[in-house]
Amino acid sequence: MKNKLNTKDLISIGIFTALYFVVILIASFVGYIPILMVLMPALCALIGAIPFMLFLTRTKKFGMVTIMGILLGLITFLMGRPWPSLLIGVAAGLIADMYLKSTGFASIKKSTLGCGIFSLWLLGMALPLFFGYHDAYMESMRPGYGDAYVDMLTKLTPDWMFWIVMVTIFIGGLLGAWIGSKILKKHFAKAGMA
Amino acid sequence: MELFSHAKGGYKSVLDPRTKLLMLIAINVAVMGTGFQGTDYFVRVVCAVIPFVLFLLIRKVRTALIYAGVCAVMLFVEGVLIPSTSGILNLVIVITSGAFSRILIGFAFAYYAMCSTTVSEFATAMKRVHIPDQITIPLSVMFRFFPTLSEESRSIRNAMRMRGIRLGGKKGGLLAQMEYRIVPLMMSTLRIGDELSAASLTKGLEAGKPRTHICQIHMTALDWLLILIGLGLLGYMFFLR
Repeated sequence: MKNKLNTKDLISIGIFTALYFVVILIASFVGYIPILMVLMPALCALIGAIPFMLFLTRTKKFGMVTIMGILLGLITFLMGRPWPSLLIGVAAGLIADMYLKSTGFASIKKSTLGCGIFSLWLLGMALPLFFGYHDAYMESMRPGYGDAYVDMLTKLTPDWMFWIVMVTIFIGGLLGAWIGSKILKKHFAKAGMA
Repeated sequence: MELFSHAKGGYKSVLDPRTKLLMLIAINVAVMGTGFQGTDYFVRVVCAVIPFVLFLLIRKVRTALIYAGVCAVMLFVEGVLIPSTSGILNLVIVITSGAFSRILIGFAFAYYAMCSTTVSEFATAMKRVHIPDQITIPLSVMFRFFPTLSEESRSIRNAMRMRGIRLGGKKGGLLAQMEYRIVPLMMSTLRIGDELSAASLTKGLEAGKPRTHICQIHMTALDWLLILIGLGLLGYMFFLR
């Protein structure tokens, strides 16, 4: 029964999801500038990766990252994003989890890639900007943000941009994980907390 | 803002948490998707009235009155001013009221749900609908943790200000300042997490036995009424429009 999640693990998931989400929320305020709107998910991934790397030092079992993905997907869904964002969250969590399990949850260096994969859940947040959701979302923003803003945003987000956003998120996640591992080494390893 | 507060002042939570969850989804779907004319407008009014009544039921009179005031202005603008104006004036009104009104009602209901549900009730209700502990425990810890986080970060900000570290201050670049904020926050997160685990150990959450509880959760007539309304809203949104 060693591989079953115990209450301590579940509590870790809860607090780190909260921390992760708050950090992401703060980072996303930058997104009010239209040009940065496209880069925003990558920035969120970059900053969010720092607490996520700390979370990974606490995960030694399969399932924790998956549950975090499910929770984040649920929040995105409840915030009014279209339902596929829930699936994206679950899938990102599951794939990252499977990769991390194959590395044995041991090496910080290998976790970097896992962090990059996990960051892709942010695609769910950006989903309404693209594909079939694009027009309706733009119309719903028009009242709040004004025409100039929306027109500019429309110009910036043709469908192929989705794949670019995907790549930037991944790179942002990797870079953030690298910074995160530096921070872990500097502050937490010394204190015996990582 | 107190989230998941333990019921003080003797009132007990008016609705079943399951009802709240259904209504939260139904109201959000309905308010986000409806326009300002005909039946759509009627639906919005119904959605707007629900949080008001619920605020009164949990005796948050001040919140209820403020909400009612803002909502009344908003609905008046939507129902009367928008159809009777045209041109630029119309555009200005739509711009100022539109975004706000879409968020307000859902937010009010979420606020009600948060401050009228205790952790115990939430966990019990999740158990009743057979959601596994693996989801329920992280979820309730998470909601419980948001206020703690804001408290911690406020203390950290104060401590940093005392040392002369603030945005636009002289010490450190932007990155260094970020480090000064995030690292202490992560430290305290770790510590609080350990404390919570210790607390859960003393509560016997790890014993593997079914959890017992003394809070009463059952569906009342009001619950059924709201579930009917909620299903009605969802049905209207998905099939009738």
